[in-house]
Parts: sequence; C-alpha cells; structure tokens
Amino acid sequence: MRPLIELEQVRRVYLKGGEPLVVLDGLDLAIGAGEFVAMMGPSGSGKSTILNLVGGLDAPDEGRILVGGEDLGALSPAELAEWRARHVGFVFQSFNLLPVLTALENVELPLLLTPLGKAARREQARFALEIVGLADRMDHRPRQLSGGQEQRVAIARAIATDPAILLCDEPTGDLDRHSADQVLDLLERLCREHGKTILMVTHDEAAAARAGRIVRLDKGALVAGSGPA
Amino acid sequence: MSLGRLVLRHATSHPVRSLLTVAAVGVAMFLFCFLRSIVTSLDAAVKASASNRIVTASAVSLFQSLPTAYREQIRDVPGVQSVSRLTWFGGLYQDESGFFGQFGTDPEVILEQYPELLLPPAERAAWVADRKGCIIGAGLAEKYGWRVGDEIPLIGTIYPRVDRAEWRFTVCGVYRSAKANVDEMTLYFHWSYLDETLERGEAQGPRGTSVLLVRVQDGVRAEDVSAAIDAYYSGGPQRTRTQSEAAFQADFVNMLGNLPTFLGMIGAAVLLAILLGIVNTMTISARERVRSMGILKSLGFPDAVAAQLYLLESIALVGIGATIGLALAYGSVPFFRKLFGVQIPMYEVAPDTLVLAVFLTIVIGLLGGAVPALASARLKAVEALRRGA
Ligand SMILES: Nc1ncnc2c1ncn2[C@@H]1O[C@H](COP(=O)(O)OP(=O)(O)O)[C@@H](O)[C@H]1O
Ligand SMILES: [Mg+2]
Repeated sequence: MRPLIELEQVRRVYLKGGEPLVVLDGLDLAIGAGEFVAMMGPSGSGKSTILNLVGGLDAPDEGRILVGGEDLGALSPAELAEWRARHVGFVFQSFNLLPVLTALENVELPLLLTPLGKAARREQARFALEIVGLADRMDHRPRQLSGGQEQRVAIARAIATDPAILLCDEPTGDLDRHSADQVLDLLERLCREHGKTILMVTHDEAAAARAGRIVRLDKGALVAGSGPA
Repeated sequence: MSLGRLVLRHATSHPVRSLLTVAAVGVAMFLFCFLRSIVTSLDAAVKASASNRIVTASAVSLFQSLPTAYREQIRDVPGVQSVSRLTWFGGLYQDESGFFGQFGTDPEVILEQYPELLLPPAERAAWVADRKGCIIGAGLAEKYGWRVGDEIPLIGTIYPRVDRAEWRFTVCGVYRSAKANVDEMTLYFHWSYLDETLERGEAQGPRGTSVLLVRVQDGVRAEDVSAAIDAYYSGGPQRTRTQSEAAFQADFVNMLGNLPTFLGMIGAAVLLAILLGIVNTMTISARERVRSMGILKSLGFPDAVAAQLYLLESIALVGIGATIGLALAYGSVPFFRKLFGVQIPMYEVAPDTLVLAVFLTIVIGLLGGAVPALASARLKAVEALRRGA
C-alpha cells in the first residue's frame, strides 16, 4: 500500500542573516497510514521544519510532499489552509492554546472551519475533551490548567475535526514525567484505537520508545538505519 | 463559540485599555458633533431668516438708538407693510449670572411680523391688553420655573429706575419657536411701557429704539425698500443702515470672526487624534496576539482571519464609543440650548451631522483595524508562532 505521507528529495534553504542555511537537503521520508513515528535529532537539525512542511505551513524549495497522494505544492495558499483544517492536527511544545478562550472554546475553534452547526460543534468538542479525559475542565481558561492538562486540551483541539494526521512538535518537552506519560498514553491510544497517523518530534528517548518507529535526523538528511522498520 | 465571541473576548481581555479607548472615542465624537452643531445651528439661524423682513439700525453702531419718530416715517416709505420697535433692555435678574435677552417692542405688530413666534391666542390677547405684561420663551420659562401670572423683577442697567426699585413684568404668555432664527430664551415687553416710564422721569436712559423691524409688502424687493430707507436718512438727522434679517443674523455670526472655521478645525483635529489613538491601541493589541494569529492559521484559518478579527474589534470599540458620544451630543441639546440662549437660537444636532458622524465612525474603525490587519496578513503562520514564542 502506498504511504500516507511521502517526502521526496525535499530541500529547504533558509536565509539567515543574508547567508543561505541548508536545513534539509534531498530528504526522503515515507510514513504509512496509522503509523506512530518518532523523529529525533539535534536541535536545529530541521525537525520542526519537516512538521511544518508536512502540515502545509511551509513549502519546500525543491522536491515534493505528497499526503494521501495529493501534492501539497499544487495547492494555493487558500486551498492549503482548507486542506490543513481537514486533514492535519498540530500539537506544539508550548501548547499554543488561545488564552482568552476556555478549554471547550479552544477545542471548538477548528470546528468553525467545518460545515457543522453550533450544537454539533459543541457536542463534538465536548466529545474530544472526553477522549483526552478533561470533560470536567471544559470551562477553564488555559491559565487555570496545569501544563499536562493544557497539552491534553491542545490534543483534543488537534483531533476535534477528526483529521488523519497528528503532527506533534516536542509535545512533552515542557512537561514533567507524569504528565508526559499521560500525554504519550493518549497519543498511543489515538494511534491504536482511532487510527491516527502520528509524526512526533522528541528529544526524549523514553518518549520515542513509545512510537512504532524512530527516525533520526542529522545534517539535513535521515541517518542511516532509521528507514522503514 | 464563534469568531464574534473571540473578538469580544479579545476586546474584554484588557478591560481598562478597552474602556479608555471607548471613552476617548466617546469624548471625541461628542466634541466633534458639538462643535459642528454650533456651526450648523448658526448657519441655520441665518438661513431660516425671512427674506421679507428687514432691520433698520443706526449706521454708527448697534448701540446707538434711533429716534422714535423714525417709525412713523419709515411706515410711509413705499413697499413697507409694518414697522415694530425693538429696544434692548439689558436688565439683570437677581444677579449677573441671571442674564438673558429682554426687548421692549410693539406686541401686536411683532406677533404679526413673526408668525414663527408661536403663542396661544388667549395669551396673545392677554399680552396685548396688559401694558406691564411680557411674554417669555419656553426655554426661559423652564430654566427659571416661571409660569403665566408670575412677576419677573429685573434690575435696570441701561434703564435704572429713579427709586432704585426693580422693574416688574407680568408673564402673560410663554411662546415657542417654529424656526431656528427665533430663540426661546428671550423676554418681550411693551416698548410703550418703557417709554412712558422714561417720559414720567421715573427711570433714566436713552429714548428711542435700538432697531426697527420692517416687514416688506409681498411682491416688493426687500433690497429696494432697504435702499429707500437708507436714502431717506442719508442727510441725517441720524443715518441708518438697513439689512435683510438674514444679513443681520449673518452679521452677528461674522462678529464671531473665524470662530466657525476654528471650531471645524478643532473638530477635525480631535478626530485625527482619536484615529491615531485607536491605531495605537489596536497595534499594541495586535502585537500581543501575533502568536494567537499564528495558531489560528496553523489550524487552517485563512490568512484573512486575523485581518477580520482586528477590523471587527476596532469597529466594535469605535462603534460603542461613538454611540456613547452621539448619545451625549443629542442628550445635551436641551442643556446647550439653555446655555447658549440668544447667542445660538435653537442649537441642535443636525441630521447631516449624525450621518457624517456615522460615516466617520466607520472610516476610523476600519482604518484603526487596517494597520494591524495589514501587518498580520503578511505574517506567515510559522513566522508568527516563532515570533510569539
Ligand atoms: N523561518 C526561518 N528563517 C530562518 N531560519 C530558520 C527559519 N526556521 C528555521 N530556521 C533555522 O533552520 C534550522 C532548523 O530549524 P528547526 O526546523 O526549527 O530545527 P529543530 O526543530 O530540529 O530544532 C535552525 O537553524 C533554525 O534556526
Ligand atoms: Mg524544533
């Protein structure tokens, strides 16, 4: 079967202080549907860049990115935004909840981009919060939640529209061991029970061990031996 | 949950900042409407003046009285229908703060000349019949709580009584004004009562009349009659200057010099200041929300969402402030009408001021949101998330 996510010969060069900085150079990566992949590598090796590329927040200078057979490079910015809303959920290290909204409202946010009506949106957001075990914290503001709870709300938001792909950028980086384990349990469950395809960047070997496969990135390319498991 | 809710949450996330912004817009909008209303009300007074009425005054100065005999002579000038005397009394009620306009006049004639002076027939008859009677404007009646039958004591300044007592006028009627050229803050009494008292030596002061109000016959050009009157007195004993009522009113406005222009400039400056203020507020808010906007974009909201949110917020803040300002402007009309009295008869907020205010509110709201909106639309999601970190 064809992989869900395919990066072919991806090259990404940033300009840093006028100097070109080659972050990704001819990167190939394939991730199958329903896989839970951990990505490791030194700081600045381009891990976040890859997540942004797969999520359509950034575009490669060379090469192609295909998701479900669709070439992201062929989509206009507006189409890309719409595509992202439907197929991808982001989870960030620093949670990135809107501070002025309650947990439930944060989770409802991406549903505004769907044709769902008001009541259905609420219901679905509540359901997502239930999955992450925070139905009783619906009306709390981010500031009133612990880091672990905030991250679980962020995960609820990422899965609210039921996207196939979750892109997690060091989701446990700011959490204590116990909260981190809770989040990892949750991600594992989402992959196993809900069939989500997860690409998770992490610095933590213990966290990476939870994934079905680990890929290692160095100097713009995958380190040998981290191909398909 | 909706984007509108998000706008509301953003607007209320810094309640003090938002309240100050709303208050500033409110004050500015009130000031703008108020200043503009002064100008338009003065204009309206000039425009509402009838073209068939002319005013004869001394060519030397408004403060120079005309001889009493001029009335009979002018009545004989071809084209003249009626002539009434109007003498500035300048009395004080209680103390200096109790100042309002008082004129001695010819009741029957002036009521016929000024149909816009509305007085119930019974009160009209009562005033004409009562030598010591007067009529007062509705605004004046309200200000001092005077009613028909009350006696108004006035201290004569131009016309002091020899016995140092007060002049007393009985209120026979309360008039309303149908047009902007007539104010509701004036007291009119019998010119003949003033003249008789002077004649008997019970009071001192200049004889004659301050001005003569002339009603021109229908079908006759007011300019021709004015010219004829001034020509008649060109050789003395006292030369006259006759103008249309509109020109007379305009003269008064001109006495204010560049004031209306200045008021307009101040109004514009106030609005410009508030525009800069709202741009500043929105820019500060936007800077705090760079990250939030990056999050929205990463969720799949279109690039324009940030722009929408800022525009909505700006328009909401400006809209609420402007509504308060407009409410103040309209609510304070009775107060200012009383305060300005004769100086600006029938002060009011004109409909086109309202239209202009609403238009400017929308423009300022849009411009206020446009600055951060443009800045944020250019910002890529990745960039926003990195920057906001
Ligand atoms: N928008 C950008 N402009 C310039 N340089 C960038 C930009 N984004 C990332 N970089 C640089 O590219 C490199 C890789 O960044 P990133 O993908 O965030 O690495 P990682 O997530 O592996 O730490 C870093 O050196 C970073 O400073
Ligand atoms: Mg990173």
